[in-house]
Amino acid sequence: MAMNIRYVARETGTNLRRNFSLTLASVVTVAVSLTLFGAALVFAQGVGNMTARWKGGIEFIVFMQPSATQEQLDSVQRALEDNPEVTQVSYVDKPAAYEEFKQLFARSKDMVEAVDENAMPPSFRVAPATSDADVIQALGQAFQKKAGVREVVFAFETVRTMQRITRIASIVIVGVAVFLLVAAVLLILNTIRMAMFARRREIEVMKLVGATNWFIRVPFMIEGLVHGIVGAAVAIVGVQGLNWAFDRGLSNNRDLKIFQGFVISGSQMSFTTLLLVGLGCLIGALGSGIAVSRFLDV
Amino acid sequence: MIKLENVTKIYKGEVPALRDANVNIDKGEFVFLVGASGSGKSTFIRLLNKEEEPTQGRIFVAGKDIGALNGWKVPYLRRNIGYVFQDFKLLPTKTVFENVAFALEVIGRPSHVIKSQVPAILELVGLTKKVDSFPGELSGGEQQRVSVARAFVNRPLILLADEPTGNLDPATSVGIMRLLDRINRTGTTVVMATHDRGIVDTMRRRVIELDKGHIVRDQSRGVYE
Repeated sequence: MAMNIRYVARETGTNLRRNFSLTLASVVTVAVSLTLFGAALVFAQGVGNMTARWKGGIEFIVFMQPSATQEQLDSVQRALEDNPEVTQVSYVDKPAAYEEFKQLFARSKDMVEAVDENAMPPSFRVAPATSDADVIQALGQAFQKKAGVREVVFAFETVRTMQRITRIASIVIVGVAVFLLVAAVLLILNTIRMAMFARRREIEVMKLVGATNWFIRVPFMIEGLVHGIVGAAVAIVGVQGLNWAFDRGLSNNRDLKIFQGFVISGSQMSFTTLLLVGLGCLIGALGSGIAVSRFLDV
Repeated sequence: MIKLENVTKIYKGEVPALRDANVNIDKGEFVFLVGASGSGKSTFIRLLNKEEEPTQGRIFVAGKDIGALNGWKVPYLRRNIGYVFQDFKLLPTKTVFENVAFALEVIGRPSHVIKSQVPAILELVGLTKKVDSFPGELSGGEQQRVSVARAFVNRPLILLADEPTGNLDPATSVGIMRLLDRINRTGTTVVMATHDRGIVDTMRRRVIELDKGHIVRDQSRGVYE
């Protein structure tokens, strides 16, 4: 179809300008909802990175000496596996431990460079059957004395609290974000509807002289898409800003050691960025799509 | 060019607007639709443009059964049909030139075509001096000329006119009728609904009279009554 790009750009531009206040409302709503969404995601990712070792009900970790012999490793593993109180044991070898270390201390380059793979302690991650803290404590202590064991580390209460709070906070934030996303879709829908109402004469003439349905629709669809994408762009800046502020304020604070591991990797940030752009497009397309199919009777 | 076969149109829950109409209009004909308000003239015209669907019967335009036409093909049907209204339906924020150009633009005509065809058609309707005026600055007759120019700029096979002189004084109406006659002489089929006795009696063309949806008269070189 011979769709004149200049025509579409001009029509879309006119619509956006003519409806400036509503356009702004749509864009701001999209931006706020996507910022919340992105922030929740980034926060969950950060906490996930920070507490990666403690996922899946793991309550304590038996760290072995880096110099522990194969027999010592086998013996500890057998003892753990034969213990009826233990439901799951997983072994983390030296290379895997090094990878984890690198992620956890991504912020402190000198620290990562100071050690190499061989200095890493292999470990056993243990998920016990009970959630009784005393029983877990006793179970872990029993391995403290075994040959080749360096130390037994228990899940901090803070880690558990952290995970719980993050989970609840994420659900609440995402819930609010979803409500706002629905509001954004409706706002875009109404903005497009207003734009169509403002141009009803043009639309009538277009239909009568034989403009195709898509020719009439496309400028409105693009208008909605612009709302979504601009909103997403603002949200991306917002999320990056929040992450930066968090980074400066908390992660480098020596008193809050637990946030040392709160690092968002580049790929996680790109994923979030792409997701926000995708969601922005989706919201815009949805709002304008509904408006165009419901209210543009062609 | 236009054929209606046993066409009936009933709007929801109302008396029929058109009953069992059978009409055959050849290429190049000039046809007046006459009758009282509510006799079915506008329905007749709207059916040809597929703005309305017949309740029964079949309608052929340029050899095609338009009832069988897919929705997405309707715009292409309309590109072959010019349409002139009583109230002109011009865009007040566009100049005369832009109003006519708009009709070509939105069907994807390239700008060099627009630049050559719009001045030509505006010359035909005698508005060369008003190209940059806005509709609000024109007289009723001039506005209707713009609307005829817009309807005809794409050189349609058929020109539909729904009371095109309804808002104009007799002297101005004559000018519009001369224009429609001239367009008809280029081979364009013209179907015009009208109340204007003087025009029908002067032009002496084919007259189809409608009364409560019935075709009560179909006369070549007819008069108003």
